Amino acid sequence: MKTKNFIKYTILYVLLGIGAVFMIFPFFWMITGGFKTSQEIAAFPPLLFPSHFNFDNFKFALDTAPFAKYFVNSVVVTISSVSLSTLTTILAAFAFSRLEFRGRDTIFALLLALMMVPFEMIVITNYRTIINMGLLNTRLALIIPFTSSIFYTYILRNFFVSIPESLYRSAKIDGCSNWQYLWKVMVPIARPSLVTIILLNSIAAWNSFFWPMLVTNTTAARTLPFGLYAFMTEGGARNEYMMAAATIVVLPMMILFFFARKYIVTGVSKGGLKG
Amino acid sequence: MKITIEGLTKKFGEVTAVKDFDAVIEKGQLVCLLGPSGCGKSTMLYMLAGTEAATSGKIYFDEEDVTYMAPEERGVGLVFQNYALYPHMTVLQNICFPLEIQKVPKAERIERAKEIARLVHIEEYLNRKPSQLSGGQQQRVAIARALVKKPRLLLLDEPLSNLDARLRLVMREEIRRIQQETKVTTIFVTHDQEEAMSISDVILLMKDGEEQQSDAPQTLYDNPANAFTANFLGVPAINNIYGSVKDGRFHTHDDSAVIEHEACRKVPEGRKVAFAIRPEAIELAKEDVNFKAYLVHTYAMGKEELSYMNVGTSEIRGYLPNGTEVDREYNIHLKEKGVFIFDEETGERYA
Amino acid sequence: MKLGFFKKKDKEPKVEFTKKWEPFVFLLPFVIGVTIFTIYPLFNVIFMAFKENFVLLTGKYTGLGLKNFELVLKDRYFIQGMQNTFRYVLIVIPISTCISIVIATLLNNKIRFMPFFQTAYFLPMVTSATAVGLAWKYMFHYQYGIVNYLLGLAGIDPIAWLTDVSSNFTALCVYGVWNMLPFTIILLLSGLQNIDKLYYTAAKVDGASTLRIFFRITVPLLLPTIFLTMVVNSISAFKVFHELFPLWSGQPGIAYNLFTVVYYIFYQFRGLTPPKYGVAAAAAVILFIVIFIFTRVQMWIQKRFDN
Repeated sequence: MKTKNFIKYTILYVLLGIGAVFMIFPFFWMITGGFKTSQEIAAFPPLLFPSHFNFDNFKFALDTAPFAKYFVNSVVVTISSVSLSTLTTILAAFAFSRLEFRGRDTIFALLLALMMVPFEMIVITNYRTIINMGLLNTRLALIIPFTSSIFYTYILRNFFVSIPESLYRSAKIDGCSNWQYLWKVMVPIARPSLVTIILLNSIAAWNSFFWPMLVTNTTAARTLPFGLYAFMTEGGARNEYMMAAATIVVLPMMILFFFARKYIVTGVSKGGLKG
Repeated sequence: MKITIEGLTKKFGEVTAVKDFDAVIEKGQLVCLLGPSGCGKSTMLYMLAGTEAATSGKIYFDEEDVTYMAPEERGVGLVFQNYALYPHMTVLQNICFPLEIQKVPKAERIERAKEIARLVHIEEYLNRKPSQLSGGQQQRVAIARALVKKPRLLLLDEPLSNLDARLRLVMREEIRRIQQETKVTTIFVTHDQEEAMSISDVILLMKDGEEQQSDAPQTLYDNPANAFTANFLGVPAINNIYGSVKDGRFHTHDDSAVIEHEACRKVPEGRKVAFAIRPEAIELAKEDVNFKAYLVHTYAMGKEELSYMNVGTSEIRGYLPNGTEVDREYNIHLKEKGVFIFDEETGERYA
Repeated sequence: MKLGFFKKKDKEPKVEFTKKWEPFVFLLPFVIGVTIFTIYPLFNVIFMAFKENFVLLTGKYTGLGLKNFELVLKDRYFIQGMQNTFRYVLIVIPISTCISIVIATLLNNKIRFMPFFQTAYFLPMVTSATAVGLAWKYMFHYQYGIVNYLLGLAGIDPIAWLTDVSSNFTALCVYGVWNMLPFTIILLLSGLQNIDKLYYTAAKVDGASTLRIFFRITVPLLLPTIFLTMVVNSISAFKVFHELFPLWSGQPGIAYNLFTVVYYIFYQFRGLTPPKYGVAAAAAVILFIVIFIFTRVQMWIQKRFDN
């Protein structure tokens, strides 16, 4: 029995280990690649590690290709669009869960149906809308289309509905306004859900590629992922620079993941199938 | 504060939850709204609180018509069955919340909250979260939160039903004590007649949205207005023997037994009635024999025995002295108190 | 007494905890965003798809009809895109699902180093696909890529993953599977955690072997989750598009051989001068219909398993 268990666990760890290496290897290769010299990166057989860790490639990416500028843009765009969309989400989720108005549930059902509409479809018109608003090549163009999320409103509304109505009635008897009730009772109670929503939304905003590619042609408004791509096509850049730049793009999200792994994982597993 | 309810009616679509309800609740009383579940007692409470709107009728607090007044302007405190404590706030924050809404200065808020916390004996737990408290403690916090704004009226919706049996007894005494110390007019909803009997000044008994009777608990018990009241109150329940009165005597429907009792004179002859006897009204006859009963079984209760007897084909329960021999017939005498005759169909009381 | 708090409607008084203006104010910011950037473009794109010979600058068109759809369906790039997209879905979904079932089952044991394994398997979910795509591009390099090096160790000749038309698709699928694994594993893992442990205890008491338990208990009980995951993944795989950018610098494959449906839409309104908005819109409507069907299937499965 004991040897059988030993064999079982050996197989288990070996399989999991192989899988883990397969999953994590691109990151390893990216980061070490960022430290390699142009000779080392083209070496065959490939070198697992660079001979020494020099930051020249990173310096080049941040200075010559304006990755420092892109980084700032990414931070500004992510924070603005996530805060705005969190705010609209909280207000709308409250309206759909506690306020009473005619047609509330019908409107909500129609919104849910809209979740089926692929972004890739409506992007054609949104692109024109941004041009007509004169926002092409501005950071605002990367923010305003994402200020309202039906999906997160749906998730938060469901959480709000699960908060007992007696709390609401109790607060009402004390003379609490809807606005006060939302910010003093509902939002604090929903904090774990909100943290998850903010995290998932931030990840999506940070990594967004398709939309920035459409509306930002100039370096002034570009964010990291599209900046990286532009760096590759415009500069015909070398692999060691690319790997250093890619590391700059990926690193903040990696750090976020290390700190908020549990929130992200449970958030995905709860929201994943409803999307 | 005195509360006057006049012809209060609440309809939910086709369903009438409260029907033409009249009542007067005197200042400083503790009143129980008692009735089986679904009888409209919680709806009554919510109409008093202002979270449900009356379909018709009037509610007066003292002389003021509050029927359609917003809840926060009524000055009521409401304790919910599930306590409705805010899970993210500490006990102190929970109690302060109503004052915070009223924009009471912070120092005063905390002082008043602490004072109330002392009254309900939770001053040690002020910094805990509700989830770290037992059910009884949560209940105390909920009462403190309702009392902190010095309400004119305290409403409690089935406040004890989420507690275990032992705590229920403790909290029942506590609610009584707190009410007597604060002298706040209190309305308490429950379906538990024992609870209602033990703590209230007045019981308002409801059934199907209609008031059955309202009186002091003992009066209600001793002098029920109808069969429903008589049957709803009392443990063990009142005994009912069904039959009719012929020639001044009560005959069961199948003529298996006869009861002789002066109350029979007050009943129209031939009418189908229920002869109702409180268990404690039964005793062994020395001289006056009301009826004969066959003793089937007894349970020791200490001082006396709970005895199961057959009167003809009907089974009744009563208390007999210890050591009464089973499996034989006895002459039974009924005491003056605790004997009623009701109409079998309408429940109307004849005697 | 505050008037208007109770509203008399149909002679039935009702408590109004909501002031008349409140729903309007709470919903306004949300509704503005949804209207301008989801509802308006939805109808606009559908309408555009039926406008014939539409010139965006002048806003003129010759009439409404199905001409754009005809153009799309006859376009060899669109046909190629459809074929590639379906091929991609049919290859990537089963492979990633099977691998994920195995990994999720293994992760569902009591094991050490869980934080490490979770990080390894779930990290790709939070990182930019463009950035990691560049790492894959480097790994797929014909001369000094690690993939060809490892194949060489196994005695296989180097493959021109990115620069040869015949290998392009395989490279895309490998990268696609890698990309899809984290999300799939998480969903299946939470499905596994919802299975009552009693079933396993009962089976062990009956002396069933590990493999037998896996095929007779785990897989059947996990089936609803597996189906749902596959449908959800199919929807996202059907929109395969941005994976192409890091690998081929924005081209659909080395020789325009890897058109996908979404790439086709993008190409029509952004890659051509002048852009063909009507054709792009018609292709987008077709995409919407396919996704609509997938979603109906998802809802149907959800309903069936809920009962």
